[in-house]
Amino acid sequence: MRWSRVGAEWSTYVFETIDQVVTLLRQQRYICDRKLATVIFLALKMNKPVLIEGPAGVGKTELAKTVARALNRSLIRLQCYEGLDEARALYEWEYGKQLLYTQILREKIGSLFAEMEDLRAAVEYLRQHEDVFFSEHFMVRRPILQAIASPEPVVLLIDEIDRAEEQFEAFLLEVLSDFQVTVPEIGTIIARHPPLVCITGNSTRELSDALKRRCLHLAIGYPDEERELEIIRLKVPELRETLARQMVGLIRRIRAMDLRKAPSISETLDWAQALVLLNAERLSRELVEETLQLILKYDRDVQQVSAQLPVLLEGADGAARLTFDNMDLREQQERYRTNERAYFSSRREE
Amino acid sequence: MDIPITRFVALLKRHGITVSPAEAIDALQGLALAGIDDRETVRVVLRSTLVKQCQAIAEFDRLFDLFFSLPAPADGSLATGPDGATAPLQLDKNGAEAPAAPEGARAELAPVEIETERTTRAPVTPEYEGVDLSLFGQHLLLQQRRDPGEAGYKPTFHVNARHNPGLPGGGELSAGDPGEEIDLGGAVEALLADLRALEVDEALLEQLEAQLAGSLSRLPDLLRRYRARDAALQRPHNAAPAPPRPRRSYRFNDHERRQMDEIIRRLGRQMRGALSYRKTTNRRGRINVSRTIRSNLKYDGVPFFPVLSNQREERPRLTVICDVSLSVRTTARFMLHLVYSLQSLFSRVRSFVFVSDLAEISAEIERSSLEETIDRVFSGEIINTEENSNYGRALEIFYERYRSAATSRTTLIILGDGRGNRNPPNAWILEELRRRCKQVIWLTPESRGSWHLGASDMPTYAPICHKVEVVRNLDQLGRVAENLVRSSFANRR
Repeated sequence: MRWSRVGAEWSTYVFETIDQVVTLLRQQRYICDRKLATVIFLALKMNKPVLIEGPAGVGKTELAKTVARALNRSLIRLQCYEGLDEARALYEWEYGKQLLYTQILREKIGSLFAEMEDLRAAVEYLRQHEDVFFSEHFMVRRPILQAIASPEPVVLLIDEIDRAEEQFEAFLLEVLSDFQVTVPEIGTIIARHPPLVCITGNSTRELSDALKRRCLHLAIGYPDEERELEIIRLKVPELRETLARQMVGLIRRIRAMDLRKAPSISETLDWAQALVLLNAERLSRELVEETLQLILKYDRDVQQVSAQLPVLLEGADGAARLTFDNMDLREQQERYRTNERAYFSSRREE
Repeated sequence: MDIPITRFVALLKRHGITVSPAEAIDALQGLALAGIDDRETVRVVLRSTLVKQCQAIAEFDRLFDLFFSLPAPADGSLATGPDGATAPLQLDKNGAEAPAAPEGARAELAPVEIETERTTRAPVTPEYEGVDLSLFGQHLLLQQRRDPGEAGYKPTFHVNARHNPGLPGGGELSAGDPGEEIDLGGAVEALLADLRALEVDEALLEQLEAQLAGSLSRLPDLLRRYRARDAALQRPHNAAPAPPRPRRSYRFNDHERRQMDEIIRRLGRQMRGALSYRKTTNRRGRINVSRTIRSNLKYDGVPFFPVLSNQREERPRLTVICDVSLSVRTTARFMLHLVYSLQSLFSRVRSFVFVSDLAEISAEIERSSLEETIDRVFSGEIINTEENSNYGRALEIFYERYRSAATSRTTLIILGDGRGNRNPPNAWILEELRRRCKQVIWLTPESRGSWHLGASDMPTYAPICHKVEVVRNLDQLGRVAENLVRSSFANRR
């Protein structure tokens, strides 16, 4: 059953090529590579949900928001948390309202039944009208149902799905594969326009295979040096180019360390903003130490990094420039360690 | 296009990346939408549709590079077209849809499968059987001319063309029954003649012919490369990982850490599942219609007092007591790792260590890393680890001070060998704890056979516990988790 609703006029863009995705996202001030754009493009063309995984702060949620803006669609967001159930995510009956209505309509109902000859007829009569109390009218729509029943295409963002329990994943399955919701009392509600579903996760726990199978998978990692610079240039244009370069270099070296929480793009941007406010000319040791709290969230990490700062900063001056691009994190770490060893051994020789 | 993709999927599966048929279909659909003219796009499309595990991405990239490419020839002379532009010999879909192949020819070629074998009747070894030249062959058909004359390694080709009656000229390539040996060069000439008959643009044909020139002389070399590539694809399959030897050091690498986490999650799921949804009447929550109506019947059904109830799922509450005395020193690291993982994965875990004294280390674990915690425990900072273990005394301390950590919702896990050095075992405390707790599980590193040797109190303790399991390494822990799940299902039935 579909919602009986007059379809409103809407204007929404359709991506035709992958390059167009890149440009449109860029217009919305989101820098992305072709890899990411390809997945978004496919998701739209194939009507498939996207599962976005990656460390915190690399712009997973931001991507969904930007895509919504770029497509001129509205964004419906469902923040997951432990204990989230279908009453909060899908729909809920308004029992209070139902009870209230029955009470108010008591007299009316009584008069209707007055003419009935026997109980059997009354029950039969009642049965014809029971859908009055189980209709759309008494239903609270929660985000997922909103997205499915929306008269215009929307973007549905299911944020941090790994915070919710596994049962929650299970009831998402119907929505994700068929874009429909079954309400036992009413029937199946099928989306008129399949929403673009973005699911984000921090991989704090392994998601079920059933869920993964229904999605396109997108792993967002830390960007490479050039892209990170580009992002800083876009978001914090006041920052000097040289300082930005120095900063990105240092951040990348910090990321290569074995930290509890490595700084990600959002931290880089915070830091850049702070450096602009502080009118910094270049990264000095004191300055970095004072502002380290902005990029590192754990005391232990701060201590570890400050202990290594001379080495890390030396690198920032270009002495031991490392090419971290196109390496995964483990490689980066190993690379960093070998470089560090080389650095210390060369010192000893001097 | 679907043939190379299904092959690639099969390869992924062989390397432990699970791909469902639905995902393979997605991949094909995605490729059709995104186009296959850019190698990186193809890679992203395949990755996003086929690989859903972050850990598998590196392996996928490696296989992708190997599968969809053949190293360019050393001198680069191979595939130089008439216009001088080098077309590197790549066996990806770009390669399959080789340059200058007219539309008609492409349609014919797609279903052609070519297999090769040595003419020098060498016994067909199993690994040789695996060599699959179909992609290579598809490419070759468009890029070769004549005679790979190298002694001892002279391939012939079996061309099996599927008859496709819908296409003009379809089936012309199948020079006989499947399996019959045909001359490749002849096949090419036949193809060219066929194309001429189709009245394709003559210039295009010449271009094609020119491109084919000189390619076949490189065939043996190419075949060798191809086999090398194939061997690289096969290697991890053939060289099955040696069974992991029991580790002495108990330094855990990443893989083991992940495995441990996975096992413990499974354990947790089981403990979680044991407590089902329970409805509680509450001041918050949803209106419970049936209870509301029932309790308001006295007001003629007017719901003056709505009854609210909550459905709440119980999270596992764990209390872990771990023996770190000398007698279990070899396994204590493993046990502490288990404790550590338990506490970091579940929210309500209290951890204790004991030798003769007993102390809580929950805070330690929260604060520091696994290695730091282990070092601190063994350095004797928290409790004296040099003493002889005294289970009775430890239990007594636990009972006196931390009784509150054992409630009707707690699962108590004791890790230790139960060797109390002839001190009073205080089994009554364990009985008492069993009464208070939901479940008592004892994990011991000693196998049952050795319990009666020396002064072990395990025979006393074992019948009191709900479950006693022998756990010394990850494998056994995995099996325990498995058994717990199975037995709980059996109980439910």
